[in-house]
Amino acid sequence: MSTAGSVRSGDAAPYGPPAAGGAAPPNEPTTPRRVAIFRWKGIIPLILGLALVGAVWLVFADRILRNTLEEAGTKALGTELDVASLHIDAAQTAVELTGIAIADPFDAKRNLIEMKRMFVELEPAPLLEKKLVVKRLTLGDVRTGTVRATPARAVGGGGFAPSALREMQRWAKQFDVPLLSLTPIDTIKSIILDPGQLASVKAAIALGQHADSTRTALARGFGALPIQQTLDSSRALLTRLQGTNVRTLGIGGARAAVSDVRRAAARVDSLKRQIEALATTARLAVDTLQGGLRAVDDARRSDYDFARRLIKLPSVDAPDVGAALFGKVTIDKVQQALYWTALARQYIPPGLLPRQTAGPQRLRAAGTTVHFVQQDAYPRFLLRRADVDVTVGDGPARGKYIAAVTDATTEPALVGKPMLFAIRRVASGSGVDSLRITGALDHAKSRPRDVLTVDAQGVDLPTLPIPGLPYRADPGRGSSTLRLTIDGDQLDARWGLASGKLGWIADTTATRRLNAIESLVARVLTGVPTLTMQARVTGPLQAPKLAVSSNLDRVVGDQLRNLVGTQVAAAEAKIRARVDSLVTEKSAPVKAKVAELRAEADKRIADARLKLDAEKQKLDVQIKALSGGLVGLP
Amino acid sequence: MLALLKLLQSLAKTLHSEGTPTQIGLGVALGAALGLTPIANAHNLVVLLLLAVLNVSFGAGMLAWGVFVPVGFMLDPIFDRVGHWLLVDASSLRPLWTTWDNTPVLALTNFNNTVVLGSVVVWLALFVPLWLASRFAVVRYRTTVGERVRQSHFYKVLSASSLYNVYRWFRP
Repeated sequence: MSTAGSVRSGDAAPYGPPAAGGAAPPNEPTTPRRVAIFRWKGIIPLILGLALVGAVWLVFADRILRNTLEEAGTKALGTELDVASLHIDAAQTAVELTGIAIADPFDAKRNLIEMKRMFVELEPAPLLEKKLVVKRLTLGDVRTGTVRATPARAVGGGGFAPSALREMQRWAKQFDVPLLSLTPIDTIKSIILDPGQLASVKAAIALGQHADSTRTALARGFGALPIQQTLDSSRALLTRLQGTNVRTLGIGGARAAVSDVRRAAARVDSLKRQIEALATTARLAVDTLQGGLRAVDDARRSDYDFARRLIKLPSVDAPDVGAALFGKVTIDKVQQALYWTALARQYIPPGLLPRQTAGPQRLRAAGTTVHFVQQDAYPRFLLRRADVDVTVGDGPARGKYIAAVTDATTEPALVGKPMLFAIRRVASGSGVDSLRITGALDHAKSRPRDVLTVDAQGVDLPTLPIPGLPYRADPGRGSSTLRLTIDGDQLDARWGLASGKLGWIADTTATRRLNAIESLVARVLTGVPTLTMQARVTGPLQAPKLAVSSNLDRVVGDQLRNLVGTQVAAAEAKIRARVDSLVTEKSAPVKAKVAELRAEADKRIADARLKLDAEKQKLDVQIKALSGGLVGLP
Repeated sequence: MLALLKLLQSLAKTLHSEGTPTQIGLGVALGAALGLTPIANAHNLVVLLLLAVLNVSFGAGMLAWGVFVPVGFMLDPIFDRVGHWLLVDASSLRPLWTTWDNTPVLALTNFNNTVVLGSVVVWLALFVPLWLASRFAVVRYRTTVGERVRQSHFYKVLSASSLYNVYRWFRP
């Protein structure tokens, strides 16, 4: 075999220096020689090389794909994905996975889903377009909520899922959940507040700076107006023309004089217009400052709440008590549902526009991969239908279930139907009498709409900690319903709990003695035999509102009002007085500054108007006097 | 060090081979694709096939691969920008990419990735200049210092090194 690109020995001399005077490059034959374009025998080493690559692939493909799947799945879900083994069945275009575990993103010690076996059979034709259309999906021994042998590692770095998780945690923190603090009111002797922490003080300081800059800007605006120069010039002209006889000026002189006076009058008019423009600007600026003063007053209301929280003053209003008792647990529930919805919206976007995702991980730059979607083509992923038997082995929902999913796809606009899923219980067990979960992810249109409904009857409800008290509410068996709707960016989540046999579990590890209020509240609470709770989180996703009502908060609120209502009111008055004094200290000078600025601006404008009007009047008189002496003067 | 020695040997072997400058130039231009573009992509299989089947210098192709790998890494940001322009910014090309991305086999080329497409396009644009430049360089080398290098002690040592001999056993 010869070197690629070489010539046969004997056909041409090896490369050497060029012949003297020869124009052809060295080793380029001086006489045309037909060089074969193809070297067919070169295909043999190539085939051997490819065969070697193929052999390596056969040996390591399962492992490579498993590692890639674990890495990509972990990144996509934002939680650890483990796969014990993976086998590719090329003949069947199928993949079999065993030991699959998806960690719970909200509890590292538990698995959200654990499957012993998953068999995925794909349609072969779409694979040539790098698309996965699942023909058959078989899942075996699916369990949820299982305990992990090792805690899941935190998924860091970039990617959508980790950032969505962080976003959800931020989302949960934005709620202003009232505290159920049961500190005796008589211990509140004095209120120490740092003015720098008060929103209204911050707003007043900022407004003061704004007022100063407004004053400077207006002063600069006035200074830039040539009021004095215009008046001086006009007065000089009028002085020059005073006592002048039109007849002595002659026609030319009179025309020039009238023209001078008219120019001066035009300058005065122009200046008046500038003054009016400045007056409008000044009025708007001062109005803005007045609006700022109102904002300071609005911020004062949030400062009252802030101060109340700071000194842990209990609220005796039932809605606040309800939010204090069940707010956190409600937000946790909704937050988890929202996380999965956010992932669904990211990976199942509406519309057919090209979508950009990060390229594959490699030594070279990953770049961006753009997915172009074509009408009447396969979506990148499509699972037409899957029926799964699920076993929940642990927790209050243990038992056997049937789950079904239809039209799960990455391009819902191509499928034109919402993705539907449903889970229902098939056998009664100790955990739940009946459970039904249904959901629809409708991303086929431009405005996505996601609906999730969970309805559990006769379920062992989880115990709920009571903030501030060493007790846990044990609702026992009851019903729990959750309905979450996200229409565009509007959230409407409702969670209800009902139990006819409410128990109370005392925290035996607590050593602190309860104070009088705590004892009373504990006595009141532990005497309540039933639980009915309705929680709602509604509004735009970015700024939702939490509202909770239950029979417990009504009872606790009434008792608190009877016992400490007067003291709470007195403490609230004290808080308001303290906040008012701190805010007034900062806002009063600003108010004075704004009023002074308005007065000063009005005075300067009125003064300028007066002077210019008087001067304009004199100029008009002069024009009349000059033009009256000459007939036909233009 | 071994890689550098191998590269030097490969360079010397290619320059002093029996291949014509045109064949070496074409080998370099084809082999540059393997270094400039991300290797694990379908188009590189085609390039390898062409290097093997066309009567061009395979050795020069392998040499160019090694030489252009660091160049490819360095130029990745430019490839990304070129690819982004072609795939995203040039809206008139969108129908082409949509068809490409939804056509069996063509979709496997990964041309919907900015770095892959950008690097392939840049390589194609550089193909003729690379071929002509390397052809010119080989001609110049052979007419100027080629023979002196062939007679040099360094070249003889390089040629006589065991590694080179091992390489020669496998030389096609």
